[in-house]
Amino acid sequence: MNTAKSRSPARYLGNALVLGVLVLLALPMEAVAHGERAQLASMRMRTLHWFDIEVSPVRVNVGDTIVITGKFIPSEFWPEQLPSVTDTAFLNVGAPGPKFIRVHSEVNGVPMIRSTAFEPGKLYEFKSVVRARVPGRYHIHPLLNVKDAGTLVGKGSWVEVEPSPTGEPFTNEITTLTGETVDLENVGLKSVIGWHLVWILVGVAFLAYWLAKPELFIPRYMRVRNLGPEQANTMITRRDFLAGGIFFTISMVLILAGYLWAEHKYPVTIPLQTGKVGVPGRPVPSGPLVVEVENANYELAGRSLTMRMKLANEGDSPIEIREFVTANIRFINGPAAAAGVVENEELVAGDSLHSSVSTIAPGQHVDVVLRAEDSLWETQRMTGLIHDPDSRFAGLLVYRDAEGKRYYQEVGGSILPKFF
Amino acid sequence: MANIALPAPRITDASGHYDLSILDNPRARSYYRRFDGILIIVLFSFLALGISIHYALTAGDWDYWIDWRDRRWWPLVTPLSLMMFIGGFVYPIWKAFRLPVIATAVTTLLCLVSWVSRYFNFGQFTDFPLSFTFPSTYIGLGVIFDSVLIMTRSLLISAIVGPFLFGALIWPLNWPLFAASKVPVEYSGTLVSVADLMGYQYIRTTTPEYLRIIEESTLRTFGGSVTPLTAVFSAFVAVIGYSLFLLLGAALYNFAGRYARRII
Ligand SMILES: [Cu+2]
Repeated sequence: MNTAKSRSPARYLGNALVLGVLVLLALPMEAVAHGERAQLASMRMRTLHWFDIEVSPVRVNVGDTIVITGKFIPSEFWPEQLPSVTDTAFLNVGAPGPKFIRVHSEVNGVPMIRSTAFEPGKLYEFKSVVRARVPGRYHIHPLLNVKDAGTLVGKGSWVEVEPSPTGEPFTNEITTLTGETVDLENVGLKSVIGWHLVWILVGVAFLAYWLAKPELFIPRYMRVRNLGPEQANTMITRRDFLAGGIFFTISMVLILAGYLWAEHKYPVTIPLQTGKVGVPGRPVPSGPLVVEVENANYELAGRSLTMRMKLANEGDSPIEIREFVTANIRFINGPAAAAGVVENEELVAGDSLHSSVSTIAPGQHVDVVLRAEDSLWETQRMTGLIHDPDSRFAGLLVYRDAEGKRYYQEVGGSILPKFF
Repeated sequence: MANIALPAPRITDASGHYDLSILDNPRARSYYRRFDGILIIVLFSFLALGISIHYALTAGDWDYWIDWRDRRWWPLVTPLSLMMFIGGFVYPIWKAFRLPVIATAVTTLLCLVSWVSRYFNFGQFTDFPLSFTFPSTYIGLGVIFDSVLIMTRSLLISAIVGPFLFGALIWPLNWPLFAASKVPVEYSGTLVSVADLMGYQYIRTTTPEYLRIIEESTLRTFGGSVTPLTAVFSAFVAVIGYSLFLLLGAALYNFAGRYARRII
């Protein structure tokens, strides 16, 4: 029998299996791209109204900080079928893995290290500060994880991260309460690798002892069968017993030694910390405008949402409708430039909000037809509205008084599709 | 050649023993040796693949991130997961070959596969630092488990002593790996451990803080004795999990044996 020939199938099989192992190893879920447009249209319209989102600066070097600010209002039209934001939520940053580290985050001034809960119909102002860690071009979003519901994504911005000009590697130093300064990029890692090597050595030595025996599977099988169940245990020789005892003792001693070493090196430790933090919501600055939505239509062909509503101005300054914000899209009445648009801001449609009444005078009660019309309905896959199980809509109506003071409030209701 | 390739000549002598003279044939021995090599590769590849899938499905996040490895759930979930898998293989390999190597093989292979995964998938591909995602070690427990089987030569006694030590020693074995990440830090006015801080800083978009199942308490918990209590509880759970899968492995092995005998 040719030796080379008989070995190659084994090697092939071995390689194939090792490759299989590598392929099947689970990739961390974090690597999965964000599905900004994948969520149901009604989910995006009726969960969180994100607005005033600003990411700056958008061009940084590794080690520099970027600040993400903005506001959100949890919808009062939150879908019944969806677990609510009033239970547990966590303010997060949508980035492809830890290309940044988060150094600070807060909502209404409360630090957001922990999870929290929010109230529908309240205003929350958030701020996340991240430090660039890995060079590249990234689309980053503010993000809210809602327990059992999933991830709600705010408007994204492109950010460019260049390598540090001095070429220094990224470090992340902090000082612990025991007074040591450690770099979280590699804290404890040397000991971890050291202990792993010790144990791998023990494990490999144990396996080598057994696998190096001149007789393994087939001969041992034959001997076991020959000895019969009563006598088969004599296959474990005195030498094996001794080796087992030595490995047992070595392992026990190493475990004890490792434990004592760690207790000596890190005398002060605490359990993992968890828990929820409360954050008070702020009232929405809705001003003197009273809104009552009568009905709404969605026109598939016209890519437009038409809302009929009764508006009453109970203040003493005329009010002008400025904007309708839903699913992160800003439908603006008039040119976009005049609406405080951030540089490179996405999902802004200028001249896309048409109102049948331009100004509501003080004390005036008026029926208004508002039409938000733009191809963004199509490109943002909002046309799926008619496939939703609960056909309702919601959005933020933004308006201002004569002094230019901005107000907003949530509007919403049922919606009927128009097919022609 | 045929008589070498067939492992079990059915010739028995007067006292009912099999003819093992073939094991003295040097050609046969070298043939078996080569076959052993193939079997080791096949068995170890199968174990490595199996344990990495089984472990990802049962322990998963508990062992990916250092801020999930708490005193209460991690020492309970991981030994149970490992003992279940190991339990399924110990019986056949012991009954057929009297080879007490499964626990060490599984824990060592899991360690090597985990390092490859954490280094490439979590490190190179997704940029998580290894200080946050390094694997835990279980090799010491595997060696102790197999050594108990060697020294007792009894599946029954080792089914009680082995998993008990496996569950009870998992925390002290890993403490030198974990302790550095359990040092307290003050951050934004909140007390956190180094591990919690890493969990906060290294952004995980789909694994928010609240997903962690850690440190859940009951009124039965006594002050500072969480770790020893968990160790004892974990040891009992490991014994039960192991025994169930040992029985399952035995049932499958005996069933397969009977079936094989029928078709031969
Ligand atoms: Cu994006």
